[in-house]
Amino acid sequence: MDTLIAQLQRQFRDYTISLYHQGFLDDQFTELKKLQDECSPDFVAEVVTLFFEDCEKLISNMARALDQAGNVDFKLVGSSVHQLKGSSSSVGAKRVKGLCITLKECCDSQNYEGCVRCLQQVDIEYKTLKAKLQDLFNLEQQIVQAGGRIPQVDI
Amino acid sequence: MTVEQNFEALDQFPVGMRVLAVDDDQTCLKILETLLRHCQYHVTTTNQAQKALELLRENKNKFDLVISDVDMPDMDGFKLLELVGLEMDLPVIMLSAHSDPKYVMKGVTHGACDYLLKPVRIEELKNIWQHVVRSRFDKNRGSNNNGDKRDGSGNEGVGNSDQNNGRANRKRKDQYNEDDDEEKDDNDDSSAQKKQRVVWTVELHKKFVAAVNQLGYEKAMPKKILDLMNVEKLTRENVASHLQKFRLYLKRISGVANQQAIMANSDLHFLQMSSSLNGLDGFHHRSVPVGSGQFHGGAPAMRSFPPNGIIGRLNTPSGIGVRNLSSPPAGMFLQNQTDLGKFHHVSSLPLNHSDGGNILQGLALPLEFDQLQTNNNNNNIRNMNNNKSIAGSSMAFPSFSTQQNSIIGAPNNNLVVLEGHPQSSPPGFPGLQINKRLEHWSNAVSSSTLPPPAQNSNSINRQFDVSSLPQSRPDTLEWNNVSSSYSIPFCDSATTLSPPPALDTTNPRAFCRNMDFDSNTNAQPGGFYDTLQTRQSGNYGPTTDAMLSSNPKEGFVVGQHKLQSGGFMSAEAGSLDDIVNSTMKQEQSQGDLSGGDLGYGGFSSLRTCI
Repeated sequence: MDTLIAQLQRQFRDYTISLYHQGFLDDQFTELKKLQDECSPDFVAEVVTLFFEDCEKLISNMARALDQAGNVDFKLVGSSVHQLKGSSSSVGAKRVKGLCITLKECCDSQNYEGCVRCLQQVDIEYKTLKAKLQDLFNLEQQIVQAGGRIPQVDI
Repeated sequence: MTVEQNFEALDQFPVGMRVLAVDDDQTCLKILETLLRHCQYHVTTTNQAQKALELLRENKNKFDLVISDVDMPDMDGFKLLELVGLEMDLPVIMLSAHSDPKYVMKGVTHGACDYLLKPVRIEELKNIWQHVVRSRFDKNRGSNNNGDKRDGSGNEGVGNSDQNNGRANRKRKDQYNEDDDEEKDDNDDSSAQKKQRVVWTVELHKKFVAAVNQLGYEKAMPKKILDLMNVEKLTRENVASHLQKFRLYLKRISGVANQQAIMANSDLHFLQMSSSLNGLDGFHHRSVPVGSGQFHGGAPAMRSFPPNGIIGRLNTPSGIGVRNLSSPPAGMFLQNQTDLGKFHHVSSLPLNHSDGGNILQGLALPLEFDQLQTNNNNNNIRNMNNNKSIAGSSMAFPSFSTQQNSIIGAPNNNLVVLEGHPQSSPPGFPGLQINKRLEHWSNAVSSSTLPPPAQNSNSINRQFDVSSLPQSRPDTLEWNNVSSSYSIPFCDSATTLSPPPALDTTNPRAFCRNMDFDSNTNAQPGGFYDTLQTRQSGNYGPTTDAMLSSNPKEGFVVGQHKLQSGGFMSAEAGSLDDIVNSTMKQEQSQGDLSGGDLGYGGFSSLRTCI
């Protein structure tokens, strides 16, 4: 039993560290984790869920706007990406935020091709992050189910 | 309530401080809420600015502080800021992902007491209570000295709406006491609290200006001004702070091409500005000209529609964002209606335009301006035509009932029927006068075909249905936006957002075609379409509910599950495995996972959930 828990905990720690090292997450995510406590035990999961919902909504808005070939409302795309940038920076989704910045630049210069490409990347990126965080949460669950404590990971 | 008692009450701070958080982004709002709770504040959240205003209006004592995002779809954060400051006089903190100093400046000039950048950290929020204390402290000092300052008692959440209204009716010689209080705070290092309060009445200001004039603007020094003014009990510090404000004021309006309007009203203009510079929101108190009960009656009527929006918008382009500039349009007129003589009696809200020009006459300001001396009234004002910048400068003219500005702000500056009117208004018929002004304005704005104004002030609301005005000017775009912001759905964005949603099935595919189809990006076409499809087929809705209602971690997975089973996606479900596998392979090849089984382990659990 203990070895299983220890194993899971090690996996959890390693995976977490790798996410930071690969640039998926940054300090802001750490801050969010700090806010999670007995009063709000699922805080991080709730927030990232909301974040991914926002991603979906905003990306689809932007996709639709970009789809109006010839009559693209770059302002709309710009304001959506601005919002996405705000929320990604608030959850610590580092790569998504970085791509948002690039997308914003493409938008400001009305670079249609650039916007489309960037948006595709944002889409991939958020989905990748979503999958990874899902894995992380699953690991946490496994640890808890095995009777262990979720380790505090210091980055 | 004494100052000491106030501070005892404050000892409980910041625990339980009531904050209203407004942000349209649900992620940020949730984070903000949690952060604030961790600071032990009492938090209320809303994602709509309108709702926030309603909450604030329904009980002015319900909140101590407002934190608001800048970019919100239903209302610009700066506009909300102005409204809150104007109506509720609460400290407002702006929040934004924009770190551009321009935005920060805008926040400051609109009266925000702080500007935070996203992502917000808890350390920053731990200290926001200082803004509440500060504003109460200032109010207390004011009330202690005056006896009847707004929110005098400073009790937590003590409402002062009664005081506001009452005050509007009272003759007030000490309206600008707050200014001085603030001035002293700003300018004096020593215990400013102990200094005598100075009321910068019009007469006093006239003397001040005359002295500055005499000395030469560039050379005016507080000591010399003081000597020239020769007013008892006025200290050098009083003059110094007033001078500082005056200079700021002039700098602010120096951007305006046509100085006439400013100069015409500048004494009043400045005096009102000065309080706004201090971030005080006394305007709505001053809004009703003193001594005219009729205005008091009129003002609320004016306020019934949100004219502030207009001002907010108009402020922006002119670059002169001053808090409290919002105003229901006819206020200016109301002001005019009063017997100007009354104003004179009343000291601080002068409209002695006959002197206005004279006061500034010869003032060697860096700006060039005609001296509208003698009768800067109608004629002069009408001379200021079609100058958009006047809109800007006028914007800087905080109106009495916060009403003038919107008119002044109108693209067509004929409106600047600012001072316009000769004293002949019979006090008994404010409505009539107001309407005449409105008519004048309306005529000025459009080339006229407006219905004749009704004979009561309620008509003002109708009058200001901007949508009915022919948009004859190029810069009426702002009017459009402005009016749209409260009377019409926000036009520009509305049209783009009102989705022609049936993304016709060929489109997404067409869009998809543009994407790379290599294995790494297989996710994309499905992804985009997936997104669109689920939106269209409504999977998103139930998905969301499922996600939210169940254990969030579950929800996470459930969401994915549903996405995968969405209409179009079903055909692709098989390929999802491929996508995941290819991603996994990527993971492996990156070799960052120390445990080879970790990646697979993680993913396999993902797969089983699906």
